[in-house]
This record gives sequence, C-alpha cells and structure tokens, in this order.
Amino acid sequence: MTLDVIPIHVVPRHAGAALPGEPGLSGNAPPLLRELAEQVRHLLETGEPSAIDLSALPLTPADLDWLREKLGSGEIAVTLQANGESTLDETACAGVWWVTHRNEQGAVASQFIEVAFVPELVKAHPADVAIGRERLEFMVSENH
Amino acid sequence: MNELQFLTWVRGPGLDIAVGIFLLGTVWRLFEIYTLGRGKDLAAPRRAAGASGLHTVFRRSLPPPGMLKRSPVSYIGGYIFHIGLAVIVFLGAPHIMLIANLTGLSWPGLPAQIIGLATVMTMAAMLAMLVDRINKPAKRFLSTFEDWFTWAVTFLPVLTGWMAVQHLLLPYTTMLALHILSVEILLIVLPFTKLFHVFTLFGSRWYNGSANARKGVPV
Amino acid sequence: MQGPLIDTLARQGVSRRTFLKYCATLASMMALPPAAGLAMAEAMAAARRPSVIWLPFQECTGCTESITRSHSPTLEGMIFDMISLDYQETLMAAAGHQAEEALHAAMKANHGKYLLIVDGSIPLGQDGAYSCIGGRSNLEILKEAAQGAAAIIAVGTCAAYGGIPKARPNPTGAVSVSDIVKDKPIVNIPGCPPVPVVMTGVLAHYLTFGSLPDLDDKGRPRAFFGETIHDRCYRRPFYDQGKFAKTFDDKGARRGWCLFELGCKGPVTHNACATAKWNGGTSWPVESGHGCLGCSEPDFWDAGDFYKALSMPAHPPTSVVAAPVAGATAGAAAGFANRAKKNAARKARQPITVADLEK
Repeated sequence: MTLDVIPIHVVPRHAGAALPGEPGLSGNAPPLLRELAEQVRHLLETGEPSAIDLSALPLTPADLDWLREKLGSGEIAVTLQANGESTLDETACAGVWWVTHRNEQGAVASQFIEVAFVPELVKAHPADVAIGRERLEFMVSENH
Repeated sequence: MNELQFLTWVRGPGLDIAVGIFLLGTVWRLFEIYTLGRGKDLAAPRRAAGASGLHTVFRRSLPPPGMLKRSPVSYIGGYIFHIGLAVIVFLGAPHIMLIANLTGLSWPGLPAQIIGLATVMTMAAMLAMLVDRINKPAKRFLSTFEDWFTWAVTFLPVLTGWMAVQHLLLPYTTMLALHILSVEILLIVLPFTKLFHVFTLFGSRWYNGSANARKGVPV
Repeated sequence: MQGPLIDTLARQGVSRRTFLKYCATLASMMALPPAAGLAMAEAMAAARRPSVIWLPFQECTGCTESITRSHSPTLEGMIFDMISLDYQETLMAAAGHQAEEALHAAMKANHGKYLLIVDGSIPLGQDGAYSCIGGRSNLEILKEAAQGAAAIIAVGTCAAYGGIPKARPNPTGAVSVSDIVKDKPIVNIPGCPPVPVVMTGVLAHYLTFGSLPDLDDKGRPRAFFGETIHDRCYRRPFYDQGKFAKTFDDKGARRGWCLFELGCKGPVTHNACATAKWNGGTSWPVESGHGCLGCSEPDFWDAGDFYKALSMPAHPPTSVVAAPVAGATAGAAAGFANRAKKNAARKARQPITVADLEK
C-alpha cells in the first residue's frame, strides 16, 4: 500500500508568502509587533528586560512563521544544551530575541520573545562562576 | 448545581418543560378561540367585504395619519424592535443552527457583527419605549402588571444573548444557560399573555377588516 | 529530607541553566508572567524534598499513566527527584504486606507533614465493598491517611468530582475526595487524565512557596484552570469570524476552523490543554481535529451529547408530540364548555317583540 491510497495530501506552504487574511493566519500576530515596539522603548528607557510568552497566546503555526519572518535574523545565535536544545536567536531588531526551549525529544516546550540586552539564561550565575574559579585554581595548583 | 449542570438542565429537561407548555398553551388557546365562533350578523351587509380583511392585515402595520407625530416613540421604537427581533431570531447564525437542528430546515444567516448591531438597536428601542411608557401619564395609567412583565420577558433573552456573545459580566457557560432559560420563560409565558398576538395578530386584523367592510367602511 | 534542592539536582548532573529553563517553561505553563520563572527557580533551588503518599482508589490508572509516561526521562520527571514518593502501589517495587508497611511507616514518620495524592473515586455503596485494598475499604484508608496529611491533591476527575464511576446511574455510589474529607486543604487537578505538567506545577508551587496555589470555586488551581480551553484555543479566531467545521471531513475541518458546531465543549471547560498540550507538546485534542469533551468539569459524562453544539438542545424535546395533543384536547374541551354556555344563554334569552319596545 502506498500513501497515495489515503485521500489526504500535504500541500506545501511557501514560507514568508503568507499574509494576514490567508488560510492558517488568525490575524493575531501583527498586534504583537506593536507590543514589542513598546517593550523595546521600555528597555531603552529603564534597562528592564521583558518578554512575551508565545505559548500562552492563541497563535497558529502560520502566525509564528509570519512573526519569525517579519522579525528576521540578527548576528547572534546562541545554542544551549540543557536537557534538550534551547536556541536564543537575536532577530534583525537588536535587543529582540527569539527564545525556543526544546525538550530532549526535540519538541518545543515553550517559546518566548525576549526583549533584553542579553537574555538572562545566557549570563553565567555567580555561584557557577565561583565553581569555575575553584576549578581553575585547582588546575593552577596541580601544575605547580 | 454548578454552571455546567445548569446549562445541561436548561438544554434538556428545562427545554422539554418549556416547549411542552408552549405547545400545549398555544394549541389550546387557538382551538378555543376558533371554536368560539362569531355571532351571526343579522343585519343586511352594507356592501360585500371584498379584500378589506387582507388590506387591514397590512394597513394596521402603518401609522394612521398624524399618529406618527403624536407618538413617534411607540411607532418608530415598535418598528425597530419588532424587525430587530425577527432579524436576530431568524437570521442569527446560532438560531438558524438551532432551527436546522430541530427541523432540518436552514438558510444563510447574517454576519455576527450585523446581528450584534441589530441586537443593540433592539435593546435601545425597547428601553426607549419603556421610558416612554413610564414618562407618559396616559400610557402609565393604562399599563398593568402584564405590560411590565411581558416587556421584561421579551427584553431578557435579547440582553442575555448579547451578553453571552460579548462575554460580559458572567462566564460564558452561565450566561448561555441564562439566555436559554430566559427564552424558556418567554416560551412558557407567551401563550397566556398579550404576547399571544404573535399568533392572533393577523386573524384578528382580518376579522376586523372584513366586519368593518360589511358595515360600510371598506379599506 | 536533606539539603537544598539545587544541591540534590547538581549531584544528579542537572545544571543551573537546565533548572532555569525548566522553571521558565513551568512558569509559562502556569500562565505566570515570564519574569516569574526566575523567582521560582531561586525559591525552588533552596526548597527541601517533601514526603508524598499516593493512594489509588476506584480508578483506571490512566492518571498514573499520564504522569509517568508523559515523556520520561523529562523535565517533568525532574520534579519527581524533588519529592520523596514513599508509597505508590503501581510504581513501587514492594507489594502486599511490605507495601502496606511502607505506607504506615511513611505516614508515621511524616505525620502532619506529608502530601497525600489521591486518584480515583471512593465508592460508598455496599459499605465500600466495590473497591478495597488489603481488605480495607477505600473510605477507611482515605480517612486514616487524610488525618496526618498536610494537604491533599485529588488527581483526575474521579478523585476531584467522582468522574466516570459517578456517571448516572452511579452503581457503586462513587463520591469525590472533597465529599469525604472536610478538614484538610484539597487541591483538585481534574482531567481524564489530567495534564501532567499541572500536577508537577502544583508540586512546584508547594515547593516554591510552601503553600498550595490559589484555587477557583471548584478547588482547581487558577494558574492552570483559570481560563477556558476556548479562550486559549488557537482556533478561537475562527470562532470569532464565524468560520466553523460542519463535519469532521469538510473544507472547514481541513482548514482548521472552529469545532464548536461539532460539539466542542471548549467554551465551558477550564483546563490547560490548549497551552500545555499533550505528549510532550506534540498536540492536543482540538489540534488533532476533535472537539473538547470537557473532561475536567464535574459530571462531564452526563452533560449531553459529545458531538452536539453546546447551544443546541441536549436531545429533541420529548414533549413535542404529547403537548399539542394535550393542548388540542384541552382546547376542544374548553370549546365544548363555551358552546354549552352559549346554548344555555340562548335558551335563557327573553325575546323582545316590537310591541315590547313600543310600550
């Protein structure tokens, strides 16, 4: 038996070709750009980071593609290996980061757009840095 | 009873009771009215009745000369809310679905925004007429409990339906249940109050029109 | 009950970033603002492992399946490292008297401090004979275990509201935990089965803040059950535009339009499926093309046809035949009475002649 027997056919979607009003798009994505603009302004004025929780919003997969396409990609892409891969990618708008947390099976566990100079997760925690220092000092003492 | 049980009740047993009383009352009253018959008019007719009955059915829907100016709220408000109710009930998508579900008949509806507009206009017209009824001494004097009561049972389904759709005040479940309950109250009350004009309106107009023609006042 | 959690985790090779990432996801699931993930991580890192006793009653083990099979080894699995699960019939190696001993030992050692998790309803019919463990009825076991519990978590619709065993005609006389225990804080985590992350979320909340989360009027944590499936549904915009699938295989269904008319109970169901999703975030009922059954609401089994729109009658009105017949009979009877009255009036009438008038 071949797959053709099943009367369901996958229709490929052109990435980036979709516009609000087209099938699959709910029209809920464009207002997020306005919210991001506001959050970036807030970051510049106060230095406080903020975020939009994408998994908490009624967005279709096509909406997310549209948003991702609109924001574009920037110069930095951080990959974090921690219980599954996480990617923290800067978008074409500096200070706006597209953050995707995946579980060990590769499925998306949560997705955010963070507005920050550097996402919190990228920074090393002082406690961890202290452990690193201990380790370095141990290596130094060993070599003596 | 939680709100889902409430909704389940109004969709099931509550609807059974309401539809039962409505059908029973309606058939009963129509039967009684039509078996009552009319006394024989022993006088010779001034003229043949002709189409006066039919004409009266339509003419009574138009204001007599001068009346529109004298009580504009009654006429304009009356038009708006009657037409509004018909539009909401027969052209609102959820209501068409209900009719299709019960009878199998269906037809295209109007977009939700237009139905929303019709609802707001209907409520505004009904409120204006209520205020008019309270403010005008003659109207107030003529009003009985039945008038206030029937206004309320007509207004509530419109209000609760609109609030359910707009997600106002109460959770959707509760509001939808209240909407269905208010319609059920309307169904129960309808055969036994002046709201029965839904059924008797055209018959009585016809009768009056043709009787008037016999007496020499054709229209 | 040993040192802070973060040390326990570190020993197991869980890095701080892994933990931060887990907390960010958890905060997202709990519908907390993104910044709350950091605060949670800090508090939870310092928390200590509480003892947990899990009692299964009249249940199908679906709830245990849901939680253990979610997608282990997992982020959710991590939370199990954060608690000390001292008794769980299905999962524990011990059996028979050994298992019962473990239960009693845990209850004694942590009296007044352990968390009690219950799944399944409690049958009251036939003195509880419908479901017994080690010769003791569920009612007896629950009452004993509840006494020393700090709080009770009722997992699954059966434990929370009676569930399917309580569906009409309820042959076993099933009731919920809250019908029996009145003097302990109870958190209901309904669902058939419940979303795994909701359970871990409640545990995380207990670890983080040392208290139970804010509950709604049905005893459910607001963080997960605060909004309806409908409000968080990615198909919601189609509902607002009036675009509905009419059958499961029409154009609307293929385009992913709203399933309201196919009987989706999303508008009246409070649960986290739309955001937490199932099978490790793969999909959830509405995404796979089927309407919500409303399984996290009390008495969902008796709430009308699963495939009938919520605004429709639960069944065709049964009174449509009898009522008009009764009405016609009453009307005819009234007609006869009126006629008799008219005839009587006609008979009693005194005719007036021209002579009478000229008097």
